[in-house]
Amino acid sequence: MDDIDAMFSDMLQEMDLLTQSLGEEAESAPLPKPASIPAPQEMNFSIGFTDLNASLHEMEDNDLDALMADLVADISATEEKFATDRDTSKGSAPFAPIPIQPQSNFGLPASTDTSKPATSSNSIAAPPPLPASKPSKEEQEEQIKADKIKLALEKLKEAKVKKLVVKVEIMDGSSKTLMVDERQTVREVMDNLFEKTHCDCNVDWCVCETNPDLQTERGFEDHENLVEPLSTWTRDTENKVVFLEKKDKYEVFRNPQLFYLWKKDKKSQMDMKEKDKEQLLEENFCGASIIVPDLEAILYMKEDGKKSWKQRYFLLRASGLYYSPKGKTKASRDLVCLVQFDNVNVYYCKEYRNKYKAPTDHCFILKHPQIQKESQYIKYLCCDDEVTMTLWVTGIRIAKYGKQLYENYKAAVRKAAGTATWANRTIQASSSASTPSPTPKAKAANGHAPQLPKDTKGPGNQTSFPPPPPSMETLPPPPPDPMLPPPPPDPMLPPPPPAPPASTAKVNKFPPPPRFPQSSFPPPPMDDLPPPPPPPEEAELPPDFLPPPPPSFAPYGGDSLPPPPPDPITSLPPPPPGPQNFASAGGAPPPPPPPPPPPAPAPAAHPSGSVRKMPPAPPKRTTPQQTAPPGGELMSELMTAMLKKRSQQ
Amino acid sequence: MAAWDLSVSVEELGSEAPPLKVSVTSDLHIGGVILKVVEKSQIKRDWSDHALWWEQKQQWLLKPSWTLDKCGIHADARLCLTPQHKPLRLLMPNAISVRLRVCFSSPVFRTVMGICKLLNIRHPEELSLLWPVEGKKKKKDKDVEAEVYDITCSPLPSSTILKLANGMPAFYAESPETEAVYKMLAVSQPAPAPETIAKMYRTTNVMEKAQINSRWLDSSRSLLQQGVKENDKLQLRFKYYSFHDVTPQTDVVRLTQLYEQARWAILLEEIECTEEEMMVFAALQYHIGKVSLTEQFVASSPAMDDLDSALQCLEVKMEGESSADDMLETMTAPELHDYLKIFRPKRLTLKGYKQYWFTFKDTTISYYKSKEESCKEPIQQMNLKGCEVAPDVSVAGQKFCIRLLIPGAEGMNEVYLRCEHEQQYSRWMAACRLASKGKTLADSSFSSEVQSIQSFLAMQKTTPSNNTAQTDESINTHSLVSPRYQKKYKPKQLTVRILEAYQNVAQISLTDAIQKFLQIWQALPDFGLAYIVVRFKGCRKDEVLGIANNRLIRIDLSVGDVVKTWRYNTMRQWNVNWDIKQVAIEFDGNVNIAFSCVTADCKIVHEYIGGYIFMSTRGREQSDTLNEELFHKLTGGHEAL
Repeated sequence: MDDIDAMFSDMLQEMDLLTQSLGEEAESAPLPKPASIPAPQEMNFSIGFTDLNASLHEMEDNDLDALMADLVADISATEEKFATDRDTSKGSAPFAPIPIQPQSNFGLPASTDTSKPATSSNSIAAPPPLPASKPSKEEQEEQIKADKIKLALEKLKEAKVKKLVVKVEIMDGSSKTLMVDERQTVREVMDNLFEKTHCDCNVDWCVCETNPDLQTERGFEDHENLVEPLSTWTRDTENKVVFLEKKDKYEVFRNPQLFYLWKKDKKSQMDMKEKDKEQLLEENFCGASIIVPDLEAILYMKEDGKKSWKQRYFLLRASGLYYSPKGKTKASRDLVCLVQFDNVNVYYCKEYRNKYKAPTDHCFILKHPQIQKESQYIKYLCCDDEVTMTLWVTGIRIAKYGKQLYENYKAAVRKAAGTATWANRTIQASSSASTPSPTPKAKAANGHAPQLPKDTKGPGNQTSFPPPPPSMETLPPPPPDPMLPPPPPDPMLPPPPPAPPASTAKVNKFPPPPRFPQSSFPPPPMDDLPPPPPPPEEAELPPDFLPPPPPSFAPYGGDSLPPPPPDPITSLPPPPPGPQNFASAGGAPPPPPPPPPPPAPAPAAHPSGSVRKMPPAPPKRTTPQQTAPPGGELMSELMTAMLKKRSQQ
Repeated sequence: MAAWDLSVSVEELGSEAPPLKVSVTSDLHIGGVILKVVEKSQIKRDWSDHALWWEQKQQWLLKPSWTLDKCGIHADARLCLTPQHKPLRLLMPNAISVRLRVCFSSPVFRTVMGICKLLNIRHPEELSLLWPVEGKKKKKDKDVEAEVYDITCSPLPSSTILKLANGMPAFYAESPETEAVYKMLAVSQPAPAPETIAKMYRTTNVMEKAQINSRWLDSSRSLLQQGVKENDKLQLRFKYYSFHDVTPQTDVVRLTQLYEQARWAILLEEIECTEEEMMVFAALQYHIGKVSLTEQFVASSPAMDDLDSALQCLEVKMEGESSADDMLETMTAPELHDYLKIFRPKRLTLKGYKQYWFTFKDTTISYYKSKEESCKEPIQQMNLKGCEVAPDVSVAGQKFCIRLLIPGAEGMNEVYLRCEHEQQYSRWMAACRLASKGKTLADSSFSSEVQSIQSFLAMQKTTPSNNTAQTDESINTHSLVSPRYQKKYKPKQLTVRILEAYQNVAQISLTDAIQKFLQIWQALPDFGLAYIVVRFKGCRKDEVLGIANNRLIRIDLSVGDVVKTWRYNTMRQWNVNWDIKQVAIEFDGNVNIAFSCVTADCKIVHEYIGGYIFMSTRGREQSDTLNEELFHKLTGGHEAL
């Protein structure tokens, strides 16, 4: 058993390397081999990874064989040059486990795929220097080498970036699935959603998290990262991410008097002049320190572990939520701090009258975001009416986030105002327009990814999904020829494989983009698409389906379309053929030398990849899928698969 | 035209000397009188700063071209020729006394401008002078007269004051003594001994707080007119809590003094705060005190700042261009491993602490049965991201525990880690704290975090002898909190509480720490309220009027509650009836209020309201020229008209 353990851990490392080197391999592959071969090979890799993620159990023997072969081949090839790199990857936990996915709930291979594409596009980016400069060769080479090393490291880093596939429910009952990168803020995610849903971009739109266990709902703040809170969800969670308009999100900035002058009578609140509102905002949000509304009221608090609700006189201060204990004055020194806001978030609750016998249904709780179930560490509070509840929840948000909230609001207003022009621009500029984002690469990756998953996952969409040709299903992906493995899979020292071939290879697989129904997608791509005739199977696909090239790219392609996808390319210096921008990049590169890889294996593998992905039934919940689950799982998965295979033999 | 002998006493001749008699006519102008007096006195000196003071009328004769007739001076008038600038002992917000020459003849507003010019404080309109509290002097400690720092050698504020490159007025550089004075002004003072705090006058209720505000000097009249004598003691304080355009680079003294004022307000409970807030204030004070010892005084130079930022840029650049090796380095995170003991109170076992082999990597703690088994699956892994970390330490008892509250889906898991000794503890504690913020051991702040924990532990080690002020390492935590908490907690209990708050501020710079202190202070609900006891028209009992920078509040004395709030932006006008000492204010919507002032002169109330209105007119354009005229118009009352 120990031997096997050791072997697997070795393999794990190699797989990490593979993930990085995939891009290069893709490039390098075509060179030495006939055009037809590289394609399948690349596919095999991706299949290996994706399927691993999806479900090792579903792997066919052949797949497994292929995977093993790949691994073995690559191990030998990479071993020497990667000494340093390997250390790193060993050291870096997040990287290693990537391919491992708790197979059960995820329909898709989230992280691996995305990171892979990202990397591959990166790697493509790198080569350009090659052809560009020829002067002093040695220097040049050295430079290139250095660049590559750096690039490889960057890719490593990139690969560490966690990504989630998130299904976002929209109020009309539909849903959108998108890939979210851990560096993306909710604001950026919402911008994506705006583009996808074509709703007006008013400031009230909000990405919410709902927890049916606790019956809570919380709107994420625009500056938060989405991945972090979602990754704390449990695996079997029923939590959802919902995209909806919430009027109270920024109400405090439209009508600050409702919060800051809440004691005044309703009439004078309504009569508030704009000028006075501005002044209120100025006073409370623009000074040296944020002023929190001076809320005080009798609220009900659920006692720790008890069922009863007790009335207490509560006060909100910038430093926390306080109440005055029985028999004491409400002087500051006597106040008891119920909770400070550093580590907790505030959640609206639903129907607590039933659930916890609360005096009213206007309840909110304060809890650490990681707590997902009923717990003594949750503070339950109940207000007399909805207005009071909104007042307190908003007050707590101000105390917690301070000026940031106001910044978010201003950004949201700008966004809403600029929507019209932006929309136009995006339509015209199409895919080449990149959404402003601090993480263009990541975004690019994610931009693509979402769509496909949605197609695959969404029950409604399933019909449109082209039934994979039966033949393909039976067709096992051609075991990668061990001999074939691209010469130096080493990402650090990739032989100077001409970038173009690689790109073309990808392009080949690419279904012509024009098929996309999405309006935002520019029609031109069709013309620009010089690439080889679509692979045979493509014809069978319904128009709206974008068959992903190699499975790994699949998640991408789909998504990239609807929104002017922030494509990776824009962020990348050279015009590497990004999967999605067939239009510009795909067409631009030198004429793809190798004709489409029509040979049977290629097409077969192709769909099979996508087919494979389908089986893992779309989990109903919107669970953000954890991309990098603990490493142990992969191991055991691999093991069981291996054992199974062996026993069969 | 009348002619008579005018008697003028000259201060330079001594107080015993009989007044000089000069023969004057009613059309002689003031300048002429001074000339005659000077000639007669036969003293040779620079008389340029002298002016005539009319004792009976309590007024200065500052217009040399006015004739005696025009001034209304007759034969019975007794005049005094005296310098306009005289020394005064100023009690600064940081509780040190400075002796300097100030103008006794111009309105206090102008005098304060001069003082601030000498002290290098911008925006003098926010400060003013007030009489110090006549403390109930106990006989035994009456002679403990605080040291007075003398800068009377300074040029007169009316002259141009050159500034050195670091922003310090040039005259401070003339001698080491004066330079030390500037340092006193620009660097926050070490924590006072707990007894000092306990001994100082404290207000205990709103009524007493209201008394403080009766002591403000009138901004539109001169010091001499208000009975201030040479060498008298006055307090300089920030009066209007509306601090315009604070920039740490140019406002070193201002910021320091502001911090000191805030700190004393907290320590003396002039403004109330909760226990949690007090601990944060204490932690910040400790941090500021510590950092000031090392970071002293460099913050002020703009040139240095430029250099700093340039250096930083360079650093960033180099980071950005770091070689592959560096990148590799940063990506291989360091680890901690050691034998530690763990205890989980959640499981109701009496086993107590059990020893395991622990490793700390990234933000995760894993433990194994033994070092040898560390290559196998850990018994448990705990990701500390987002967890709460609290110390449970007693140096005397050699107990070094870290209490972790690790969030999980089901709630928080409580875990105690017990370390063997201080070094081990500080490393693991630092790692836990960084991890709770999502930072790894590779983070650059790790080593300084370790150090700050060690230095804080040192606080527990030294038995605080009561009278020591803050020195390098030791400090009595009682010096950081108000007497209420001195009584409530022992120093060691306080150390633990303060340490908890300290972990959030331990890494910030001096300026940031000061600004954070001020921010929290300004966010307190009662911040910036000046109380005056008043009696509203038609009411029979005294109530309290609170004046803040944007509103007036009415407080019911019996309950202590805010009954009503009026905001300035709804104010139409306010009037003072100086005869019956009543202030009447009209607000939008026909709301009229009128009250007479009980504890303070209505001029003080008038000045407060007008002053805040004036403060709000200061634009963002950062023009440093002060609209003095407007200030007097808004605050002067009938004298200004």
